[in-house]
Amino acid sequence: MTATAARTGAARPRRGIGGPRMRRRLAPYLFVLPFVAVFLAFSVYPLYFTARLSFTDWRGTGAATWVGWDNYTYLLTNPSFWGSLGNSAVLWLLIVPVQMALGVLVAVLLNSAKLKLRGLYRVAFIVPFVTPLVAVAQIWVVLFDQRYGAVNALLGAFGAPEVGWLTTSAWAKPTLALLFLWKTTGFIVIILLSGLQSINGSIYEAADLDGASKFRQLWSITVPLLRRTIGFAVVLQTLAVFQMFAEPFVVTQGGPYNSTTTAGYYLYNHITRADLGTGAANSFLLVVLVMALSLLFVRLLRAKD
Amino acid sequence: MATTTERARPRIASHAFLMLLLVAFLAPVAWALVSAFKPANEIIRNPLSFDPTTFTLDNYIAMFQDVPIGQGFTNTAIVLLFKGAITMFFAPLAAFAFAKYQWAGKNLVFGAVLVTLMLPTIVLIIPLLLEMKELGWVNTYQALILPGAVDAFAIFWMRQVISAVPDELLDAARVDGCGEFAIFWRVIVPVIRPGLAGLAVLTVMNIYNDFVWPVVAANSERMSTLQVVLSTLAQNITGNRIGADYATVTGELLAASSVALVPLLVLFILLQRHFINGILAGSVKG
Repeated sequence: MTATAARTGAARPRRGIGGPRMRRRLAPYLFVLPFVAVFLAFSVYPLYFTARLSFTDWRGTGAATWVGWDNYTYLLTNPSFWGSLGNSAVLWLLIVPVQMALGVLVAVLLNSAKLKLRGLYRVAFIVPFVTPLVAVAQIWVVLFDQRYGAVNALLGAFGAPEVGWLTTSAWAKPTLALLFLWKTTGFIVIILLSGLQSINGSIYEAADLDGASKFRQLWSITVPLLRRTIGFAVVLQTLAVFQMFAEPFVVTQGGPYNSTTTAGYYLYNHITRADLGTGAANSFLLVVLVMALSLLFVRLLRAKD
Repeated sequence: MATTTERARPRIASHAFLMLLLVAFLAPVAWALVSAFKPANEIIRNPLSFDPTTFTLDNYIAMFQDVPIGQGFTNTAIVLLFKGAITMFFAPLAAFAFAKYQWAGKNLVFGAVLVTLMLPTIVLIIPLLLEMKELGWVNTYQALILPGAVDAFAIFWMRQVISAVPDELLDAARVDGCGEFAIFWRVIVPVIRPGLAGLAVLTVMNIYNDFVWPVVAANSERMSTLQVVLSTLAQNITGNRIGADYATVTGELLAASSVALVPLLVLFILLQRHFINGILAGSVKG
């Protein structure tokens, strides 16, 4: 790299001095060097290591035994692996469509020129995003406790029966989904707002003249024009939902009856069991799945353009 | 007359909707902050009661005695200082190289940034943990600071921000005899200061809230960060710690959560304008 830069620099001597020119050619390489060093040491090397590890049986000590594709076949034929993916898929369904609908609606309302208290709403909606996840997850444990929680107390005041939010398989997933929605919707609203700001307002004036209702304008103008921003948000949240770990770790420990063992939490279980070869194989399967899903969404949204 | 009421109705409806959401978004945090001052038994017996005359600091006192939360704060502060400084300095520098220079290999290295962005953290946990073992870094500050330093999202975001700086400013500085780093330091950094303020909030937030990697790489009591210390409390409840009094643990848990919440809330409220405007300016356009 240095040699090429020096040669081209020498081939085109300008103003007589090669120094500043050459420095200008070298500068970007020096500027990205720290990132590249961290990337090689803590992303590339571990990835290479995972790839090798995924073909071995290794318990963290002693020699690793080569087992070929065994870890992969073990996982792909194991109902609990598919169960963890299924749990994440259900959580995705409970979270992403709701969040996008709510996000677009709130962003459009916040974006309207005449809205008062806009600053207050923006701050209030992003407060959950700022709060530490572990602290909030703990608060969730207390709020949604079946016997002593504030949620059941509140519902009880209206005569509703006690719900086992965290203790029944049916309710544990929606309760986790609610935590995730509460925590991240404000951030999604801000992202959607940034997309809305690039839409030219005159298009709505034309629609007003044509007598299109506000709802009609939202569905036929705003949503199609926001497609790329929504797509970005969907990819972001898909990655986040399939990696979800801290929420089940703190709130449910994957239970009851593995109903909240997400793909991310299932992966962590291999570490606690010191079954590192299987864990590595699981990591790779998850990477492939997450990347494939992201590409799929990008494709789907492009195709409709 | 008729037209004004017709126009007012949707406005009232949207305020009602937004207010409802506002309450839903603030209620859990507000409830926790208030309940932490209630007597422990009252929290579980009457979770919705509110009587300031009974407020007490007992939960805080018990929590500080039972949980090494001071140690957690110290560890988080150390990691925050070093990891934050590394990202705040090197990420905009790398972003500058992507935004304002043409160089061979640029697309390749930017691809690396994108891959880092997309790669789930949890996927790298096992090999990173083994790497730390090889290096003898388990339960050290290096392990908490170095992986993930020079944050990829920060590079991605700052690249957008720096792209908007006019090239003429840089050329003018070059004519004045500025070196390349001096251009970054004396021209770029002052111009993008609002973006940097936004990045600072996001960086502090990410590092302060980081949980997955610290809980795996540094779980000894001496090295636990604030979030790891916090997580042990919740497990005392859900993990049915034998002999634990549910009310006491709940009180301590809410006190600890409050202590962890408040610094970030204050920081955010002070800098919210920079943070929100920074994201609005820097994220993808529709």
